[in-house]
Amino acid sequence: MNSQKKLIVSHAPFLHIGSGITERNLHIIYAALPALLLGGLFRFGIPAIGVVCLSVSTAMLWELLMNRAMKRPVSVGDGNAALIGLLLAMLLPATAPWWLVITGTFVAIVIGKQIFGGIGGNAFNPVALSVAILMVSWKDYFDFNGMLMNYDPDFIMAYPLATLKNFGVSGIEQYSISDFLLGRQSGGIGATFGIGLLLGGAYLIMRGFIRWEISIAYLAGVFVTALLFNLTDPTRYADPFFHIFTGYTLIGAFFLATEDSSSPVNFIPMLIYGAAGGLMTILIRNIGAYIDGTVLAILVINLINPLLDKIRPKAMGKVV
Amino acid sequence: MLSEKQLKIVYGLIIYLLFVGVLCYAAFPEKSPDEPVRMMFKVAAGKVLFDHKAHTSELKYGLSCYDCHHHPMDDDSSLVACGDCHHTTEKADGLPENCLECHDADEVEDTEMLKRSDAFHDQCINCHQDFEAGPVACAACHVVL
Repeated sequence: MNSQKKLIVSHAPFLHIGSGITERNLHIIYAALPALLLGGLFRFGIPAIGVVCLSVSTAMLWELLMNRAMKRPVSVGDGNAALIGLLLAMLLPATAPWWLVITGTFVAIVIGKQIFGGIGGNAFNPVALSVAILMVSWKDYFDFNGMLMNYDPDFIMAYPLATLKNFGVSGIEQYSISDFLLGRQSGGIGATFGIGLLLGGAYLIMRGFIRWEISIAYLAGVFVTALLFNLTDPTRYADPFFHIFTGYTLIGAFFLATEDSSSPVNFIPMLIYGAAGGLMTILIRNIGAYIDGTVLAILVINLINPLLDKIRPKAMGKVV
Repeated sequence: MLSEKQLKIVYGLIIYLLFVGVLCYAAFPEKSPDEPVRMMFKVAAGKVLFDHKAHTSELKYGLSCYDCHHHPMDDDSSLVACGDCHHTTEKADGLPENCLECHDADEVEDTEMLKRSDAFHDQCINCHQDFEAGPVACAACHVVL
């Protein structure tokens, strides 16, 4: 018999390592702050502060209301509702009207999360679901060109993905990748500052709060698909770096696709899940009817997540 | 689970953020600048994003206000929105049908009031052609998405 001791479990009492849902959500919020503060609030000013504060507070209020209505323990302190509100605000334009923000947090918390039974039960990412519903219902409010008309920064304020969709590759020659990295582009409150999002993502991966397999596979999916399109016809399809640093790609890769309950847990499924998300994003952008396909692509991969979870290691021994 | 004290802090945070959010919306409503930066014309043929500042800025095209905002006097009275006189096909209520409704015959040369679409098409395309700069094809300005 094998005498090597592989697993030793001592008896109680146990010491808690201090890690929990609250800590996890707080760290994801911390990771989002560079992109939010430097890229969003600094650039878009008081209107953006209004959107963020209203979004976070109403998301927590919807959560509290649902806790009371469903006679469940108060879960508003775990930070998950605040995180959902924050991420939703980061995808909205700075001039989003108050009712759009409140409707958005209602859809995210009530329809996206609580009716599935709360945290961990949701099949779809609540933020992606909310943005998709808002975008289909009121598409003009997600037209960043129309929403951010009064901002007058020292860079090109035309939304890069809209320019690409409407005027093709010749229209995007005026943009530069370094501008995108420094947040010098039009877009959602927290989705424009490339370096900030990359730093936040790297922090979450290094601390183990999100799985690198999903984020990297997603970005690789975007890159390879965009590259294939670009090689096929460089006059019609933009280069892969343009797609990675514009729109919701980075925030999608690090903050949306990696959400726990709507993403797979095993290595191969995570790679397929991420790569499929990247593929869908570019398919929607290049040949679909929408300017940015990120949130819709994430909903599609959320949908295939239960199937992907079936790819798992076989149990050892004979199972009767 | 959070303690009573921690829960009170969370409730306090909700109230504080809600207050700041409402304050930002109520006290700082979005105001359009006196001189537009960019404008979007939403029309049946597809919306048009017009960079007003690029046309007036000395660093770009450096046009004078009165190059486009024409009026008998060429003074501040010219600086009104185009749609204040040039009406759309659908919306003509209360807008002048003819220049002579406001001006005397000796003030104006051409008395016909162009529709907004005709006025814009003439103004934009003619100028772009004269200077051999800027778009003239439909899809170079009008976009669907």
